[in-house]
Parts: sequence; C-alpha cells; structure tokens
Amino acid sequence: MTTLSTEVLVIGGGATGVGVAWDATLRGFDVVLVDRADLAEGTSGRFHGLLHSGGRYAVKDPRAAEECIAENRILRRVAADCIEDTGGLFVTTPFDDPAYADTFVTGCKATGVDCEEISVSAALASEPRLHPGISRAFRVPDANIEVWKTLWAMSHGAQQRGTRILTYHEVTGVHRSSDRVAGARVRSARTGEEIDIEAQVTVNATGAWAGQIADMAGIEGVRVLPGRGIMIAMNHRLVNTVINRCQMPTDGDILVPIRTVSVIGTTDQHTDDPDDHTVPEDEVDRMFDEGEKLVPGFRQARALRVWSGVRPLFEDAKASDTDTRDVTRAHALLDHQQRDGVSGFVTITGGKLTTYRMMAEETVDAVCRHLGVTRACSTASESLPGSEDGANYRLGERLQRKEASLQDEQVICECELVTRSSLEEAIRRTGSTKLDDMRRQLRLGMGPCQGGFCNYRATGLLHGIDELSAQDANQALLDFLQERWKGTWPILYGDQLRQVRFDDWVFQGVLDVAHAPGAGAGAAGADGAAGAAGAAGAAGAAGAAGAAGAETVASGRAS
Amino acid sequence: MTDLLELALLRGSLDHCVKCTICETQCPVSNVTPLFPGPKYAGPQSERYRVTDEPSVDLSVDYCSGCGICSQVCPQGVKIAEINAQARDKLKRQKGVPLRDRIITRPTWLGRAGTPVAPLANFSLKLKPARILIEKTIGIHRDAAMPAFAGRRFSSWAHKRSDALQSARKIVYFHGCGTEYYEPWEGEKLVAILEHNGFEVVVPKQDCCGLPLQSSGLFDDARKVLSTLARALDPYLTDDDTIIVGNATSCTLMLKREGREVLGLEDDPVLKRVSERVYDICELLLELHDRGELKTDFKPVEELVAYHAPCQQQGHWVGKPALDLLALIPGLQVREMNARCCGTAGTYGLKVEKYDIAQAVGRDLFDQVAASGASTVVCDSETCRWQIADATQRPSVHPIEYLYRAYGLDS
Amino acid sequence: MRSQLHFDAVVIGGGMAGLTAGTRLAQSGAKVAVLAKGHGSTHLSPGTIDVLGYTPGRVTSPEDSLARLISERPDHPYALVGADAVSESLQWFADCAANGPLPSYGYVGGLERNLLLPTAMGVLRPSAMVPSTMAGGNASGLGTVAIVSVPALREFHPTLCAANLTAAGIESRGITLHIEVERADMNPVGMARRFEDPKWRGHFCAQLLPQLRTEEHIGMPAMLGMRDPAAVVGDLERRLGRKVFEIATLPPSVPGMRRYEILRSALRAAGGRLALGADVISHERSNGRVTSVATHAAGRDLTYLADWFVLASGGFASGAIELDSHWVTHERVLGLPLRGVPETGSPRFEREYLSDQPLAAAGVAVDGELRAGGTDNVFVAGASLPGATPWREGSGEGIALASGYRAAAVIAGGLRTEESVTS
Repeated sequence: MTTLSTEVLVIGGGATGVGVAWDATLRGFDVVLVDRADLAEGTSGRFHGLLHSGGRYAVKDPRAAEECIAENRILRRVAADCIEDTGGLFVTTPFDDPAYADTFVTGCKATGVDCEEISVSAALASEPRLHPGISRAFRVPDANIEVWKTLWAMSHGAQQRGTRILTYHEVTGVHRSSDRVAGARVRSARTGEEIDIEAQVTVNATGAWAGQIADMAGIEGVRVLPGRGIMIAMNHRLVNTVINRCQMPTDGDILVPIRTVSVIGTTDQHTDDPDDHTVPEDEVDRMFDEGEKLVPGFRQARALRVWSGVRPLFEDAKASDTDTRDVTRAHALLDHQQRDGVSGFVTITGGKLTTYRMMAEETVDAVCRHLGVTRACSTASESLPGSEDGANYRLGERLQRKEASLQDEQVICECELVTRSSLEEAIRRTGSTKLDDMRRQLRLGMGPCQGGFCNYRATGLLHGIDELSAQDANQALLDFLQERWKGTWPILYGDQLRQVRFDDWVFQGVLDVAHAPGAGAGAAGADGAAGAAGAAGAAGAAGAAGAAGAETVASGRAS
Repeated sequence: MTDLLELALLRGSLDHCVKCTICETQCPVSNVTPLFPGPKYAGPQSERYRVTDEPSVDLSVDYCSGCGICSQVCPQGVKIAEINAQARDKLKRQKGVPLRDRIITRPTWLGRAGTPVAPLANFSLKLKPARILIEKTIGIHRDAAMPAFAGRRFSSWAHKRSDALQSARKIVYFHGCGTEYYEPWEGEKLVAILEHNGFEVVVPKQDCCGLPLQSSGLFDDARKVLSTLARALDPYLTDDDTIIVGNATSCTLMLKREGREVLGLEDDPVLKRVSERVYDICELLLELHDRGELKTDFKPVEELVAYHAPCQQQGHWVGKPALDLLALIPGLQVREMNARCCGTAGTYGLKVEKYDIAQAVGRDLFDQVAASGASTVVCDSETCRWQIADATQRPSVHPIEYLYRAYGLDS
Repeated sequence: MRSQLHFDAVVIGGGMAGLTAGTRLAQSGAKVAVLAKGHGSTHLSPGTIDVLGYTPGRVTSPEDSLARLISERPDHPYALVGADAVSESLQWFADCAANGPLPSYGYVGGLERNLLLPTAMGVLRPSAMVPSTMAGGNASGLGTVAIVSVPALREFHPTLCAANLTAAGIESRGITLHIEVERADMNPVGMARRFEDPKWRGHFCAQLLPQLRTEEHIGMPAMLGMRDPAAVVGDLERRLGRKVFEIATLPPSVPGMRRYEILRSALRAAGGRLALGADVISHERSNGRVTSVATHAAGRDLTYLADWFVLASGGFASGAIELDSHWVTHERVLGLPLRGVPETGSPRFEREYLSDQPLAAAGVAVDGELRAGGTDNVFVAGASLPGATPWREGSGEGIALASGYRAAAVIAGGLRTEESVTS
C-alpha cells in the first residue's frame, strides 16, 4: 500500500475543502485533498449559484448578512472571472407583506448591505418579465458565481504549487490514536487501490457528511442536520438580474440567472441522509407556483432540469427537526483539540457558499494553531488563477470565443458551445471515462437538448481517446443518458417533453442504444407499461416505492 | 403589454426548440456559405447567450438574409427569423449603420429622386464606371440587379384617371414602392383585373412599409414609417368588409405581421386593424374563386412558364395561391420550381459583401429555370423578379400578368 | 370578410402520416389540403420503413409478428388498421418511390423478413423496407466491412461503429478520412450536396482507395446525394470497386428528406395542396362534425372548410398532444379526448430511462376505423394514435403509413357515398 505524507490533509472537495486547500497552499503548507467523487459533487455543485449580497439575511440573521456582504466584495475581486455581476433586486410582489420592505431597508443599512430603491417602472424596464404588480423594488449587489470554475481555479492553482488533489478517493478510515488524529486511509474508486495518508492536521470539510467522518475519527456529537432542497433550472434567462421576494426567507423566493438558465429555488426539508436526492412532486409544484408569482407565464416557460441539494446545517438546540430553515446558516468551526482533547483534527461545517473563503480562513488559522505556527492568510488579496485581470465573467464569452473560430473549430455540445478541442483536452487531462465528469468540467449536455446530440458525439471521442472497448463506450453513453434522465423526468412537461420525445427517437430509434452490445438490463425491458403504475401511487412521481432516498453515488447525479 | 415584454416573449419562443436541425437544412444562406452559422445557431441557440445590456458579440448574425424560411419550416413554432432580426438590429445599433444602408432602405427617397430624371438615372446605373464608383463609395455591388426607374409614378396615373370604375364594392390598394416607381404598369394591370371583377379601387396617398429599414436594423425609423403607412390606409376602411390588397408580397407581409412581431408593435390598434385587412392579390383572387365570385372568362394562353414562390410570399402562410389561379387559365403550363429563395432577400443581395452569397443562394433556382424549358419566370415579388431576370436572362413577371392577358384586358 | 377556402378533406400535419393520407385522398379524387406547421418526422427519422422491430425480442418476420401482435394487442394501431392496410400501404409507398422524382431510387424489402441494418453506432436494427442505397448494409449480406467517414461529421464515429459491428459478428474496421471541407462542422445535408459533385467524389475516392484493404463493403453515413443518390452510390462503387451502402445518421436525415420529396411530389402529382407554416389554432363544430379549422396565417386567420379531417399532427413530439405543468394532458389542435394517459397520482414516467414509460402510449382515443372520439368526421393517423411506443418497438413509419393510408380509404369511401347520394 502506498503511503503519502503531508502536513495538512483536507477531506472534502466542496467549496470549503478546496478553499481550505487553496488557503493552506498559499500559506506554504504541504497539502493533500481527497474527495470520494469529483470536486463539487456534494452540496457545492447543487446550489443555485447565488453570490449573496446579504439582503436575504438582513432582517432575519444579521450576522450572516454582514458576513455575506463582506465576502461578496472580496470574492468579486479575487474570483472575478467566476462571478457575473448580474446585480440583484428585492421586489415586493402582490403576494408579499408591503410592510416588510421598510424593515428590509433598515436591516440592510444596519448590516452594511448596499441597498438602493428604484422605481417600479425602472425595474420593469430592466426586467420586463417581472410581475407587473410589484409595488417596490430595491437594488442590491447580488451576483452569480460559477462554483465549478471557482473550484477548478483554486485546485489547479494549488496543484501548480505542489498540492495533491485526489478525487475519486473515498475515506475508508481515519487514523485515530488516543489523543490525536494522524491522517486517514483512502481507496481509489477507479482502481480499488488503497493509500495511507499521514498528516499532521486533518481537516474534516465534508459539509453534510461531517458527522460521518467525525464518527470515523471517534469524535462524538458532531451533528449535522441535512436540509434538503430542490432547484429547477428554466431553459433560458427569464431575467438577467437575481430576483428576490422582499419578505422573510421562504421556499422558492429566489430566481437566479446563471449561465444560460434561470434557477428557481428552493425548498427546505429535513432528511436523515446527506445523499438524499429525492425530488418530491409537491415541491416541484410549489416551485412552479412561486415562479409564477415572480414571472407571470413561468409555467409556460420550459423547465429544463431539477436537482436536489443537501445543506449542512449544524445543529442548534432550538431548532425543530422538520423545518431546518430556522437552524442557523452560520458556519461552525469545531477545533477538536479544544472540544474533545483530540489534536490534529478540525471540523468545519455549515455555512453557505458565499462565505467559503472566510470559513477556509478560520479553518486554516486553526490548522496553524495545531501546528504551532503563525502564517497570514492571503486569500482576500490573491487572485484565483484566471481572475488576475479583475474582469467579471460575461454570459456572451463562450459565444464570443466561438465566433472567433466559427468555421475552424468543431462544436460538440452546441447548446453550451463546448468545442471538440476543449473536450479532448479535458478527457486527456482527467483520464476520465465518464461523460458526467465532462459535464462538470465543460457543461457538456447541460443545455436544452440535455445531451440529445452531444452524448453520442462525445462518446465517440471518449471511445477513441480512452481506447475503450465498444461495450464500455456503449455503457458510457447509456450512463450519461440515465444521468440526464434523472434530473428530467420529475419536471417533465411541455417543451421539455417534446425534447425528450425527440431524444427518444434519436437514441432508441436511430441509434438503437437499447440493443447495443453490453446494454444490460435496460435492453429488453418489461413489455407491460402497467406494471410500473402500481408502485408509486400517492408518493408521487418522484417519491417512488420504498427504495426512495438512498440513491448511491454510482447511479449518477443530477446536475 | 409593453413592447419590451412582447419582445421578451418573442425570444421566449426559443424554448420550443428541440434542436431538430430542420431549419438548418432549409436555410438558403448557411447552406452556401460558412460565414453564417445557420438559423438554429444564430437564433434560439445564441439567444440564450444574449443579455440586453451587454454588447453583441456574434457578428455573424449579420449574414442572415431575413428570408424567414426557418420560421416557416420549424415544426415547433420557434420564431427563429424574428429572433435573428432582433439580434441584427442590436448589432446594427452597436456598429452604427453605414451610409449605404441608410440610402437603400428608403425606396421613397430613391424613387422621388430618380423618377424625374429617370432616363439619365437609368443610363448612368448601367454604366460600369458609375457602378464601380457606387460600389466603392456606398457598397452596392457593381453587378447587383438594379431596377430601372419608370419615369412616372403609379399614383399619378391612379389619381388622374377619369375612367375609374365606381362601385359599391370598394377595395383599398396598397401598391408599394416597387409599383410606384419602377413598375407602375403592374399597378395598372391589377386595377384592371379588380375592376373587371366589379371592384372600385381606391388608392390612398401612401408611402413605404418600412421593411428595408427593418431588414437593415433601423428599427426606430422602421416603426415611424410603418406607423405612418397604417394611418394613411386606416381611414379608408369604412366598413367591416373593406379590405386592402397589395401585389408586393414582401410589403404586404410587413404590413400583415412582420412589422408587428419584429418591431414590437402588437399593441398599436391602428396597425392591428389594418394588418387584419391586408390581402395579397393572388390570395384574394383565390378566395373570391372559392366563393364563386371570381370571373373565370379566361382565354387560353399557350405558354410554358416557371413559377417561383418568393420566401416572403411563403411567409404569408397561405400556401401558393398563384399556382391555383394560374391553373384556371387554359393552355398555360406551369412548372413549380423547387427552391426556397432566389437569393436577393430584398436588399440583402445588393450589398457588396453579400452579393456573392446571394448569387450562390439563387444558383439552384436559376439552374432549375434553365432546365425547365420555360420562357418566363412568374414570381410574386418585384425584388425577386429583378434578381431572377438578371440571372436567368428571361423575363420575370407577376402572376397577374397572365390573368390580365387571359381576361383579354391587354387588347 | 372572413378568409376561407373549401376542400373535400383537410389533413392536419405534414409528416409521414399526413402526406400519406393527403396523397391517397388526392389520388382518390378528393380536393385536399395538407396543412403543415413545419416539416415533420420525414426529415428526422432514418428513412427506412420500420413496421415491427421488437416485441420486445427482435422480430425476424414482420408478417408473422404482426399477426400475433394484432391478436394480442387489440388497442394497437396495427390492430385498428388491419394487416391488409399495412401491406397495401407499404406497396403503395414503394410504388411512389419507384415512380418518384429520384432516378432509380427505390425501396427494397417487405413484410416477409426484416432486414438488419447497422445504425450509426453499429447496432443491428431491424427494418422492413429500406432505400436501395441502404439495403447493401443488410447484415446477412455483409462480409468484411470498412466504415468510412470524415471528421467534419460530428455524430458519426467510424471506429465505434465498426467496433460494435464486429461485436455483432461482422468483421469491420473504421476509417476516418481526413479530407478538407470548408468548415469544421458539416451536417449530412451539406455533405450530400458535396457528394453530388463528381469532382469531389473523385477526390474523395482517391484519398480513400489507398487506405482500403480487402474489405468488400463500405458503409458510409447517409449523405450520398439528395437528388440522385443512386447515381452517386453507383459512381462511388465503380471508383472504389466495392459495394457501398448508406448508414442512417442522427438528424438531419438525408434519406428522410428524400422520402419527403417522394411523398410531396406524389401529393402534387395527384393535385393535392400543401401549405407550409400553417398552424391550426382553432376549429368549428356542428353536432358531431368538425366543420372547419383555422390556421394562423399572417395578419389574420385562414379558415379551411371541409367535410373530412385527418389529424396527423405528431403526438407529443410536436406538442400537438401536450402535458402541461399541472400534469394535465391535452390534445391541442381539436381538443379531442385522449386514451392511455396515466391516472392522476400514477407515475407518468419511470426512473429507468430505457424502461416502458407510462405516458408514452397515450394518444387520441379512436374507434376501429380511426375515427376520433366524439366526432363523425375526424380521423387520426400517425404518432397521435395511442397504444404503441413506436421508437421502442420499431414501428414508427409502419404506423404512419398504414394509418394514413387507412384513414384516407375510409374517408374516400365516405366521399363516394356522399357523391352517390347527391348525384
């Protein structure tokens, strides 16, 4: 078995974990980061992309609001290329208590969140699809942040400085002796090979799974209450500004334009399982209703994809078990030396993506204490690779790049303008055999046709570059089909159903993938459609029969 | 509904796109040049990347000719051509509109300037040096087919004549700039045909429909011009049955729907009323025939002709009524051409940077005409006729030409 | 003044089913208009005529399997139209092709035995009748094969296709010919135009020949000419000294577009009218009869009055049957009742993508003569029919042809009755 030695082992490749690795790297530590899957496969990859201004918390959670606005300003500088300056609006719709608006203004002032009232006609002129009955509108510095870009920028930057990033390596055990944690053992999901990692300090940055890793380390009582919520991406930008309902935070009160879609979210249901990705139909219906309140005609627009994310909410004794929204959104740093007398181990959990940098800073400060050194944090001033010029991302960038090479550069995913050369490069660099990895790298298959064309195109490239057998290539295609389907069927209606029909004809008709060598169980299929109907019944389309919840990593994730 | 909301909903039609590629197979431009990435790409696909307040980045959309075939063939109802028109407009406003586009988009100016000096103007425009100079200064390709000024205006004839038929059945004639300045005889024939069928033809004072302005992205000017036209015609709609007829299929299309959709004028009540009353002449005559109200005293015309339906005639979404009308004339053999666009797409084919593309687009049609053995090409739109006549070296006429002859009105 | 036109019959939908019904009606002497919102299935599907491919095991003889299916599944469209309509419509289509605008281009095959053609992925797929330019790919006739394409065609991967074919027992090799075209992305239609140029063919073959070995057959993406594919394939075969066959590609489908030309020209020759961009948005009824439909024309609606209507509108794929965001299904053109829609609360879809999807077999409720529920004079053809999942069982074109054919026959019978009554 291979042994690696390092100063800092970070478990968890979400925003917090990668942020910790980046910070620690910049402070000159030797760092290894591990994640059981790809970066941002957990909570980080499943949120709506909002870079909070803090307005949402200005009344309810002032501390969170202050943290948000401070970090918002910092990230706009250091992660400029990952952030699109859409701006945000808080609007009082006919469904909101008009009195809240003034409370909101006061709250923003008190917490330092920039807030400027604009006229309703100005708001409607800039966002014509907004509900015409809004009575007040306030501009705030909300923005969107592309989490994969942010995490890849940090991880590549860290790797260039010698940090080792081991994705698809699952922690199988934490090395705990009586009063210290000395590292962990991991297993490669691809090869099965086990690696022993010796570390002076181990950071548990696993978010919603923090309790599981703490258990492995023999630490008691780290309780994280997973709060599951769904988000729905609508096929195009119904708005170009982040739109918030001007009211106390509740379900479905944000509409975020991010990349080529607009995302409505979210809901908040307690779950016991951080891998719970169910999409209950009643939550879907509720999101459509809430969307209709912000943008009349929402239900005639095209719902592209739904996914579920699990928030890591650190338990507060006051919270009820079912509604997790009241549990603090603030983060929790547990220094186990102080809390449990166990040195070399730190847990960071809770929080929101907007404050990942601050969470990382506090965590690495704790790491410094464990190592008995003082090193200053520079992540508030050091730009992420790619963001050095301080220019924010603009939506038209991919289109502009493609325009420059209109005739010479082949496009594989047309919806998201993913070029052949970028896809080939990503396949070679990652050695990946899964199209879903390419999706996270490049947005392959994330557009309206959900892989209708690019799935097969990319499979052909994968087959060639990775030198796969035909059966493995066929399986890669089928896996991606299934993965795309997972986030489609719970919100499938209208235009997207037309698309699915078209894609069905392409895959099952023209290509006949169901009968491809190695197609497996899907191939013949039961002939009777009726068989399926009995099962799910009242739980609704998504809840489906007993096997709910426990969808494993292997079956693929919704985007 | 604000016009901003209207336009937002128009772009929202991109949601219907299932990327089926049918529009790409039919786009006359992208099939002959890689400079235009195609309607699916430039329309619903790129539109997802366009933000109102950000500058246009895809200059290739300028190569879209605005023929509208993509919208016609889309099985899902995506307003592809209209989305492209919006994008072109934005690009134009950003780049600034060249002098050429300000000139060729105002046929009224050109017409008024050229008519009094028609013989000289026509002569000059045939001179190669003059055409080279024009190409180098304002960018109209030296070989582009330019019509000859008639030297008289149709409206003068219409307002001066003393033998106009009086009748209880009135019909309003929207003649368009082509008839007014270049082919006044077409207007005279149309009037004769309608009078033969018992209509009193009323010719209001009128101007351009604004389509050339819209095609070149001058949306504000186009709105003014179209609005003026609507208000010029509206007062003549004295009862629920009075209709407006035109013989320029691009211009009647502009009045019927293109202006409303692309310029965001759905809420103009005058334009709405006018647009609902507009008929293309062949469309009208066929409907009259369907009611049994069209005189069918046609004499035989023994000829073999080719028929090409202009892309913007197809945009009326009424099929090809000219074919059914011509079928009523004994002895007339009509070969329907199987091509989508002659290439000129209004003013597109005149432009120096677009001329070769336009010729390549029309090549298939020109070859089919040559192979058909036809002596004449019948086509509903004047700009197409000028392009086709020039390229095939055969006369090209409006369908009513044959009706006129078959009725014996030419004797 | 209302804009209106009169016809004997109006067909709503310009895909395979609509064009078939329209042409058959015109051939029987009716004055018919085909109203097409746009181009339909013809341009997208592979161009083969699939009658029955999987039930769910692979079907060897459509004739035999058809008989079994009709007795076992009385709700299936084939059971409604009957085996005779299937065989007659196939023969009729083959005649249209043989007499059609494409020289020497016909369809081969029939109901006795399915051909097994490779898909672009190299999977062997059963089809009853296929274009002559594709028939050479029938598995039973294949020896060693070279699969050849160019990089500019993104969705055709010769090596993957060949690898899967080899796994199916047909020795194959993939060749990617690196040949210059003017742009990085070509679709099959653009390539088809190229292949119509003899100089290009010469250049292509000169590049390919040195790379060939002992392969006896060459499979290429279906891009070998639009107007005269027989001549293109013949020329390639002469130059390469081997048999050449076409393999269906992802859309756009060149053989599909050829099929459209065949049907369109048959419609025209019979005197039928085709209106493109004609989207039916409303209709009028009187008692049990639909009396007219109105299309959204420029400026105002155009009303088509007719005695008979065929709804060949394309089902869910075209949005003619719609599931809305409240999970309610509607037939959007004429508001007709549907059959096979899962009850409220029952799942509409299954988690496993490749399983039978409950909503898939929903369609417009019809009687044994394809007459839509609640009407006397509206007939349904094609994908709007319930009772089948054509992409899974490989029956799309068969259902479209047979139901379009049958609907026209019933209507023609009705027209003759009317005539004899009035005359």
